[in-house]
Amino acid sequence: MRTRPSTLPITLGELVRIPPLAAADGLHLADPSRRVEQVVLAETFERLRRCTPHVLVVLHNEAATGGWSLAAALHLAWERNVTAVVVSRTVASPSSAALAERLNMSLLVIDTDPVNVALQLAGQVSAPAAARALRQAMCAERLAEQTSIRGVLGVLNSELQGIPVALVMAETVVAGRAVAVQPRPNVERVEVEVHGPGERPWGRLVAAVPAHGPAAAEQVAKLLRLARPSLQAAWAHTRLDSSSRAEHEQAAFAMLRRLAAQPGDEAGGGSGEPASGRPGDPTAARCGDASGDIDVPAWSSELGWQIGSANRAIWLAPVHPTGEPPEEVTHLVRASWQRGRTGWPLIVQGDGWVSWHSGADPDDVAPVRRAVAAFRDSAAAHDLVIGVGRAHRGVPGLLRSVAEARLAAHVARERGPAAVQWFDQVGPQAALAWLPISEIAQVADLCLSDLMNARDRVALVQTVLAVLDCGGSLSQASLRLGVHRNTVLARLSRARQLGLTFDEPAQRLALHVLCYTLVSMWTESHGYPQTGAAGGPGVAPPGWPHTGRRTA
Amino acid sequence: MTSVTGTVPAGYVGAVASIGAEDVPALYEGAKFYSSAVGDANRSSLTSWLTGLLERNGPVPLRRVETVDPDTPCVSVCVLGSGSALADLPPAGDEFEMAIRQIERLQGVRFGAVYPLAAATVSALVPIVAAAQLGVPLIDADGMGRTFALIHHTAMHLAGLSPTPLVAFGPTGESVLVEAPDGRRADRLLRSNVDTLGGWAALAAYPTTAGLLRHAALPGTVSRIANVGRLLLERTDPDLLVSRLGAITGCRRLARGRIVELEHLSRPSDGTIPAHPSSLVVDETGGLERQLRIELRSEVVAVFADGALAAGAPDLVCLVDVSRGKLATLDSLELGDLVDVIVTPADAIWYSAEGMEMVGLGSHGISLKHPRRR
Repeated sequence: MRTRPSTLPITLGELVRIPPLAAADGLHLADPSRRVEQVVLAETFERLRRCTPHVLVVLHNEAATGGWSLAAALHLAWERNVTAVVVSRTVASPSSAALAERLNMSLLVIDTDPVNVALQLAGQVSAPAAARALRQAMCAERLAEQTSIRGVLGVLNSELQGIPVALVMAETVVAGRAVAVQPRPNVERVEVEVHGPGERPWGRLVAAVPAHGPAAAEQVAKLLRLARPSLQAAWAHTRLDSSSRAEHEQAAFAMLRRLAAQPGDEAGGGSGEPASGRPGDPTAARCGDASGDIDVPAWSSELGWQIGSANRAIWLAPVHPTGEPPEEVTHLVRASWQRGRTGWPLIVQGDGWVSWHSGADPDDVAPVRRAVAAFRDSAAAHDLVIGVGRAHRGVPGLLRSVAEARLAAHVARERGPAAVQWFDQVGPQAALAWLPISEIAQVADLCLSDLMNARDRVALVQTVLAVLDCGGSLSQASLRLGVHRNTVLARLSRARQLGLTFDEPAQRLALHVLCYTLVSMWTESHGYPQTGAAGGPGVAPPGWPHTGRRTA
Repeated sequence: MTSVTGTVPAGYVGAVASIGAEDVPALYEGAKFYSSAVGDANRSSLTSWLTGLLERNGPVPLRRVETVDPDTPCVSVCVLGSGSALADLPPAGDEFEMAIRQIERLQGVRFGAVYPLAAATVSALVPIVAAAQLGVPLIDADGMGRTFALIHHTAMHLAGLSPTPLVAFGPTGESVLVEAPDGRRADRLLRSNVDTLGGWAALAAYPTTAGLLRHAALPGTVSRIANVGRLLLERTDPDLLVSRLGAITGCRRLARGRIVELEHLSRPSDGTIPAHPSSLVVDETGGLERQLRIELRSEVVAVFADGALAAGAPDLVCLVDVSRGKLATLDSLELGDLVDVIVTPADAIWYSAEGMEMVGLGSHGISLKHPRRR
């Protein structure tokens, strides 16, 4: 039970953080958590011999003449189980440090008068609470000087020597020393919540405190709480500087891709070019069979990224892609996407943005569903579609999920702004989403000019497509088109005359793709031209391969 | 005068009845063992002088003190002052004889035997010179059993014998006669004159009789250095050398290690003995891998193992250069040398309370209890 912590003896680790020992050099610091109950100014070896354990000895006069005297003093201090020996720098030599290390006796060297130092130390040891308050004040000063999360964690880790501290978001160590969160025997875990904007929990500061220091846990918690404002400020600072952050994230993501691509390179697989995100690109192809584990690089967690056992990517893409999105749009999308989800990344990739969520359970889609639902209004406002990949493990898994999400987003374009497409529901039909529609339309213009000039071209193409889709069955095709079988027959005959010789096996696949592309293009761009087609303007014929249809 | 019983072949370790020219190298080496701090500056001049003397005058009989008539007047001799001054200003040759003659004149006696004040360093050789010149035997006993810095650091002083009247005879032919009731005063009076005499002087002191010496001097010390010297000249494997030396001197190897640090003149001189303190750090190789700190004055005065005092004055500490299989003098040490630290106990009298007070660690400014007296 911790009672009246102010009277608990101060530790060596605490003393070396404040003057006068803050200016001392620790030639060897054996155990900073050892308590200091008394300070002895030892002038003679006789005085050293009378020391009790847990004493801090300041050597002076005869006991500090150097050479043999320091060696003998260290040995006596070791015999008496003294906490530390403090001596003037002029007396110590490299061999003294070596002996201190060998005896595991803390040895500090000072440049000032040993008598003054001993007096100051005696005051600190007799009033540990005041000494601790001084230490906290000095620590607060150092923390206030930090402008980065890494800097804040650096101060904490140097201040709490021997006690690792980490900043944890969800279950991922974002900064500091990962050993802080690893379960170890005889270690007490001290946690302090750090809140983000709107008092939402944003992360936790975790310290692993050795269990044998009675005052340690409480002191550590105090220091961690002191670090919170600096941490929040540093976090806000990185958020405010969004353009440099975007570049940082983009570069980091490219690195991640490269990292995942490396094993493939060795196997003679792909090139090191940046991934295009298309189904045929090297990264995406490799992600499909990526089974080797890649360690999550430390720099990814510094960005606040989490890459865990179930990574589900989300691809946000404009309905009508026009190359890389402008910076201001990225800014708006980021603001909207990260509202309430400050830890989720948003990286410009190709013509869209990628984000992801990491969790432990691959079947838990609730966070992504919530995020997508919350973003829908913004997606509609910015003419965006949303593709969601499946959950995969590790860095290769994340990249695979990104490729899936991108594919899903392409499929979602069929359905216009704010459409959400989950990759699980896409299947192989996704391949059709990647057809280069405009190029194929050009092919049609060149090769089938008669057909393309015909006024009833839409009806003819729709009919041929329906017949091909139905495996040549005229009755099924007529049913699907809602016209009489004879009408179908007549259209097919006319189509053949105009070059759509779909019943020649050598041309069937090409014509099938061509018809599909033309119908897709006409559907997507302006609805149907006024050609007297069966469906009428703006209405897609029933039974198209796509599950979703433009209905507006 | 007792007849000489024949010379002992070199390499034989055992009783010595006389000292001939062929014994000089062994004596020199043995004398060095008992004061390893001293360099080799005087080696050739001194040994060739003594060798020539012994060749001309014949071997000097070496007599155990109890075999000498108790009433035989005896006097001790040694070199006083700096060894390098002795090299710079070599002896004219008659200094020791003249010093003894002066005391003879003063006391009206004729000394029947000579004994070393300290059977170590060059002071172990000069009594042989004096004995050869005077034609008297050398007594196999001395006052220190090694060397100490001051002339009253002797067993005779502890036994109540006075060092005075004493005569210091310089290489320039001048001399100083000191008569003082107290050994300490005599040393101070004498020391202030040494520089003027030329940096060193031949000292004749402690005039007494063989009967008193039986109880006051340390017996067998001259034959001991001859035996030690013969072992050292053999240049055997260092391990074998240490165990053989152990049989004669009781020495033991404290540790073997490599020199990792030399601290020169890092502190002002402390204690009562004029010397420059410095120290040597040796990392033990093998064994406990301790850190040894060897404190040097004009000799090795203490050895600390991991900060704990392992040996100290009046123990005799010397270093054996392992790679060369010979004694390392303190001025020849280099970083990285592999050395054996050899500790030889001094004669028992030095561990008495009076002895410790005079030549113990305290006299070197080390206020720690000697390991043998804890």
